[in-house]
Amino acid sequence: MTHLLSIIVAAPAIAAAILLLLPNSARTGVRVVSLLGALISLAGSIAVAWTYDRAAGGLQRVEDYPLVPPLGIHLRLAVDGWGVPLLLLTGIIIVTGVLASWSVAKRDKDYFVLLLVLVAGVFGVFVSQDLFVFFLFYEIAVLPMYLLIGIWGASHEVPAAGPFRFVWKRFAVGGKEYAAMKLTLMLLVGSAAILVAMFLLWKEAGATTFDLGVLEATKFSRTTQMIAFPLVWLGFGSLAGVFPFHTWSPDGHASAPTAVSMLHAGVLMKLGAFGVMRIGMVLLPDAAVAWAPVVGTVAVINILYGALCAASQKDLKYIVAYSSVSHMGVVMLGAATLTTTGWNGAVYQMFAHGIMTGLFFALVGIVYERAHTRTIAKMGGFAHTMPVVAAFFTLACLSSLGLPGTAGFIAEFLVFLGSAQGAHAWWAVPGVIGAFVTAVYVLRACKTIFWGPPPKEEFAHLADVQRTEWGAPLVLGTALILFGVWPRFLLDFIDLTSTAFLGRIPTIS
Amino acid sequence: MPPWLHIFTLELAVLGIALLVLLCDALSPLGARALGWLTAIGLVAVLVASFAVELAGSAPHGVYVSGAWVLYFQRLFLCAGILGVLGSIDWLETRVARRPAEYLVLLLASLVGMMLLAGVRDWVLLVVAFELMGIPLYVLCAYAKLDGPAREPKLAAEAGLKLFVTGAASTALTLFGLALVVGASGSSSLDGPQSANVSALTGVGMLLVLAGFGFKIGAAPFHMWIPDTYQGAPTPFVAFLSVAPKAGGLAALVVVLLSGWSRQHELWAPALAVIAAASMAVGNLFALPQKDARRLLGYSGIAQMGYVLVALCARSEQGIAMAIFFIASYVFTNFGVFLVVHAAAENSGGHSLDEIAGLSRRSPWLGAALLVFVLSLAGIPFAVGFWAKLFVLLAAYQAGLVWLVVTGVVLSVVALFYYLSVARSTFMADGRSAEPVRSGLPLRAAIVLCLAAVVGLGLWPGPLLAEATRAASAFAGGP
Repeated sequence: MTHLLSIIVAAPAIAAAILLLLPNSARTGVRVVSLLGALISLAGSIAVAWTYDRAAGGLQRVEDYPLVPPLGIHLRLAVDGWGVPLLLLTGIIIVTGVLASWSVAKRDKDYFVLLLVLVAGVFGVFVSQDLFVFFLFYEIAVLPMYLLIGIWGASHEVPAAGPFRFVWKRFAVGGKEYAAMKLTLMLLVGSAAILVAMFLLWKEAGATTFDLGVLEATKFSRTTQMIAFPLVWLGFGSLAGVFPFHTWSPDGHASAPTAVSMLHAGVLMKLGAFGVMRIGMVLLPDAAVAWAPVVGTVAVINILYGALCAASQKDLKYIVAYSSVSHMGVVMLGAATLTTTGWNGAVYQMFAHGIMTGLFFALVGIVYERAHTRTIAKMGGFAHTMPVVAAFFTLACLSSLGLPGTAGFIAEFLVFLGSAQGAHAWWAVPGVIGAFVTAVYVLRACKTIFWGPPPKEEFAHLADVQRTEWGAPLVLGTALILFGVWPRFLLDFIDLTSTAFLGRIPTIS
Repeated sequence: MPPWLHIFTLELAVLGIALLVLLCDALSPLGARALGWLTAIGLVAVLVASFAVELAGSAPHGVYVSGAWVLYFQRLFLCAGILGVLGSIDWLETRVARRPAEYLVLLLASLVGMMLLAGVRDWVLLVVAFELMGIPLYVLCAYAKLDGPAREPKLAAEAGLKLFVTGAASTALTLFGLALVVGASGSSSLDGPQSANVSALTGVGMLLVLAGFGFKIGAAPFHMWIPDTYQGAPTPFVAFLSVAPKAGGLAALVVVLLSGWSRQHELWAPALAVIAAASMAVGNLFALPQKDARRLLGYSGIAQMGYVLVALCARSEQGIAMAIFFIASYVFTNFGVFLVVHAAAENSGGHSLDEIAGLSRRSPWLGAALLVFVLSLAGIPFAVGFWAKLFVLLAAYQAGLVWLVVTGVVLSVVALFYYLSVARSTFMADGRSAEPVRSGLPLRAAIVLCLAAVVGLGLWPGPLLAEATRAASAFAGGP
């Protein structure tokens, strides 16, 4: 299979095209085709992981098609050691996401079309070896979100407060359309910054190619690097939830439908972090060193601020959303350490957090569908009626706070170890404090919702996990434990690429 | 037959179609549908023929030069003509069934004027071609004066008058400017003064001519007529008006500035840059509060013209190529979006954003088409508008016009807001009408053609880019 990467990227897009031809009434057909498209991509990702030659390392399965020859834009696909775990993550999340969306009733065909287009873009980013195509796929992954949240999302009341309370009424804060517009505009402003940086690099590299390999071989002047790096960092960082550009994330994730939250928090935010590392740090090594104190300090703020915000939320989805902001801080902290251990931890955290947050949002979706509330104070004792949900939710909580034996532990441990080895050892201290605050808020939420005395009368007859709903908890829960006890499988891939890329970063004296 | 007549083959063919339509109408009452199809098929034949005939050459005294540059624009105008005719057939049949032939003939006459513009190298011929393009448009603009449904306000006369008055004023400006320029140089050739320093009077003349062009292509601050005209004129015609004359004006502007007056660029380049920035700012900012789809698109069109002018400011061969790529992308995208608005409004009764809301539920295909067109106008990847905007900004960037690039990028983010609100009202809002949209075959065909162009060129912009580059290098290499 020489075109395996193309197949992985194209399968969801082709499935989306087939969906367009199906009649609206073919409800089962729509879901089966979507699931097939997702499964093909997942199978392809597993095959890529299986056949990746770890002894050789580097870029493998290179495919190259010219797209816009005058500008030197090529559709150049290849996979490296970072791409493998992220492809796997995307495959797992989209399959479970389709299963979790089985019960979408409103305009279901349109919904699956957009979901599949989005995920095709995500796969594309992870295998692109051409900066321009990387950006194109990135846009494809970001844009469908507007409609997905705007149409299928949920609005909720946010009480107006503070000196800007007139804004609430003017922009309908809390509404799904507000969330969708805020998310899209913030991310597209980021895209504009990326575009500028991209052409800055393209021009300095001779204005003939966007090939990442060629750009890596180019020694950019220090001025260019110092200008381009913050553009890339904040541009991609706005998607990774970098403080203070994270504010779209709680609103967006809270308003989005289940599978969209899963994909967005589980995979899309990783695109941002991946962009910062793959484009920012690898292409601009001098600037990465110079800016590392800023990046790392902001990441520490992310961890602590996100955790504290999460601890003060009353809405379950907002808790999970803010915990994503906090956990993405861990990824960025790992990246800022500029050590092999830290980078391995960062990529591992992308994977672990993707799985974990996917599980969270899937379970929150199940609970919300039955209880029709996300306010934690109203819930209680759900374990009596839905023990399976309770068990998996607890597992996700434990991974979130970094319990040994779960994937979250491996990732956070590596990141904190890496920051202790790096130039700014103090970063590990607030990082660990953040992990402690995480333990407080996830355990408190978990206890209030699921454990304790039997639920009130109105919640006494909530059903447990049924049929296709099993998919997400089962797959994601298994993955959390599997990659918690067998980290080597993924770390072998990640380490190869981290080591190779770190060789480019000048040592900090 | 003079030996150079063959370079006007395409124009003569279009003129022939116009005469044929008049003849058919005089001999037997064929009706709008038959005449419309006849015209459209004729134009398609001319378009196909343009790939087969040899047109290179020049007219005596170098007043007209043909070649790849001219051919690029002529094909573009033919495409616009085909779309314009197809889009109008249903409207002609239902609204102005009594006199469809004149509408088509006027459209074709305007088309001939445009097709002449790109190759013109003489001031007299330029003014004639401009008027040939412009005068039929005044008439077409007010065409629905008597025929609209009783409940609709009669805005057509206002639209026609506004276009006429501003058009006449712009012609007057141009002519006055030309009197100064030609008077000083003593020659009506487009090749301007040889020295970079010109007398103050010539300089004033050049700026007046530039202002006249500003009216024609609807760039700020000469844009006042656009929203009112678009709102009042028949929508299928506005689709044509919003793209073809602008492309014509652009072709002439490129010839005048970059071939004729390239030595005096220190005089006009700053003015052009200001016009470009002003157009992007005015268009994008004034589009934000609009409630009527046609007015919104009018302002968006002003902004789009700003982006084209940004590429011209680069004053490079690459900039010209990018500008004419942009204008081609704009022709298909804007045509499509107006035709969809027309189709939606024909069934819901109005053109306000509220009235086309919920379009995707009434007609999923039209809703999807509108989304694609709007995203293309906004410059979102994998629609041709993305490449267009990118190429234009790239050309300006390579020419060192960083402030224009920054302005363009920032304002295109602003533009996203109103383009997305069109998408929102299409997909998310509940419309007043829930009836499925019914539209005739020609209109649907025109929309599908636009959609195919926007998506096809968006996925694979290479061929059009190569064509635009070829045309630009033919232009730069030409006399």
